[in-house]
Amino acid sequence: MTGFDTLLYEKQDGIAYVTLNRPQFLNAYNMQMRDDLAEVLKAIRDDDEVRVALFRGAGEKAFCAGADLKEFLTAPSPVVARQIRFDRDVWGLFLSVPQPLIAALHGYVLGSGIEMALCCDLRIASEDAHFGLPEVELGIIPAAGGTQTLPRTVGRGYALEMLLTGRWIDAGKAWQIKLVNRVVPKKQLRKTVKQMAARIAAHDPDVMRCAKQAVVQGLDLPLAAGLDLERILAARFGPGSIAQKA
Amino acid sequence: MVNYSKKESVATITLCREVSRNCINDQVAGEFNDIRGEIQRDKDIRVVIITAEGQDVFCAGTDTQAALAFEDRAKLLELFSVAAIIDTFTCPVFAAINGAALGQGLELALACDLRICSQNATFAMPQVTCGEVPWDGGTQRLSRLVGRGKALEMVLLGESIDAQEALRIGLVHKVVPLGELMRTVQEMAHKIADQSPISLAYAKEAIHKGMDLTLDQGLRLEADLYYLIHTTRDRTEGITAFREKRKPQFEGK
Repeated sequence: MTGFDTLLYEKQDGIAYVTLNRPQFLNAYNMQMRDDLAEVLKAIRDDDEVRVALFRGAGEKAFCAGADLKEFLTAPSPVVARQIRFDRDVWGLFLSVPQPLIAALHGYVLGSGIEMALCCDLRIASEDAHFGLPEVELGIIPAAGGTQTLPRTVGRGYALEMLLTGRWIDAGKAWQIKLVNRVVPKKQLRKTVKQMAARIAAHDPDVMRCAKQAVVQGLDLPLAAGLDLERILAARFGPGSIAQKA
Repeated sequence: MVNYSKKESVATITLCREVSRNCINDQVAGEFNDIRGEIQRDKDIRVVIITAEGQDVFCAGTDTQAALAFEDRAKLLELFSVAAIIDTFTCPVFAAINGAALGQGLELALACDLRICSQNATFAMPQVTCGEVPWDGGTQRLSRLVGRGKALEMVLLGESIDAQEALRIGLVHKVVPLGELMRTVQEMAHKIADQSPISLAYAKEAIHKGMDLTLDQGLRLEADLYYLIHTTRDRTEGITAFREKRKPQFEGK
């Protein structure tokens, strides 16, 4: 297990486990976590042994309750803050990881927390999870991709409702609007997510990367261009390819 | 391997390879293509239904044995694709899913405009479990239909879902008992077939093409098609019949 100030990182049987580890602060996202997360995401991206990565929060209460407000307004100026945002583009990095990513969500999943979850490919929630983008109540807007990733996941109507009202939704509602793939009792969250990761890790890692790329990149393209992309990828992994390789 | 029948203005294409779980090979795709030609030449046909023989399987995917005979992979994908054929229909296309729709079978259903299934139907993209990826449009059309999260789940895990889950996520529009499947789909198809074929084709075009455009461009396309349709006889007939309180007789002109 590798220790960062704000994260725990473990690797076992092709599965990387990233635990947000500031439980006394509801795993709130701060500058140190940003830098730690960037290190870990690069390590995952560059490590072929990692076939799938799993993100979770330490403690009972939260996956991540959002950005740590104590650090707000500490940057020398908005110009510098914006420069840093793009110099250390942790969210762009998150979205560029080629392996499948799974988020295990419990308790508070707010602000940067839900945005982190939206950078993942599969989201599994425990029954006690609550989701929200409270930024508008603070007089700001989400900046970790939420205005883009949320509507692409749940559609324009629900995304606007969550963004404009700042209201939280529970796990059942999150499942209903397809914000999460599955909801399980809290005791079973770890096991369920681990099983899911193990199933992905059991498949050919190149096939998993291709499948993820086809879906994610394809959604940013017109259908015809997406179909072309799929064909190019399928030239390697099309019907009968495994038997031919054998 | 593929049957074709026509009743009034509704064409029905039936996969008839029940012994091979209605799997798709180059011959099936070839027959499909021939039927497509026949349908497109037949000006009377206004709606197409695609279904399959049997009580358990709609289509279990690509015929792997047949695929192995091909050295040229690009050629293989071209000769085996059915979704690309369905994509060329300008009229509405129904999938009447009478059982398992797996892999390329699900990709075939996704290329249709409307999907109705029986209660025993199941759906999966199991390609990854065989070291393969979906290739007949599945990674593109599934995500556009049910959203990124659900699509990634089905494509990455390869697990199957039942008819009720398919209904919940919007993969199918209606679930009915197997014994009522064809009657339900035929009723819907005949109801649609009473509309003007030009209206149907333009509505379909506006939605499919519009999804690929910015909203501004999509609104422009819709308006252009709207004004174009005002040049048709069907538009005059539709408005006249409404005023005369009678059923319109559309001729597709």
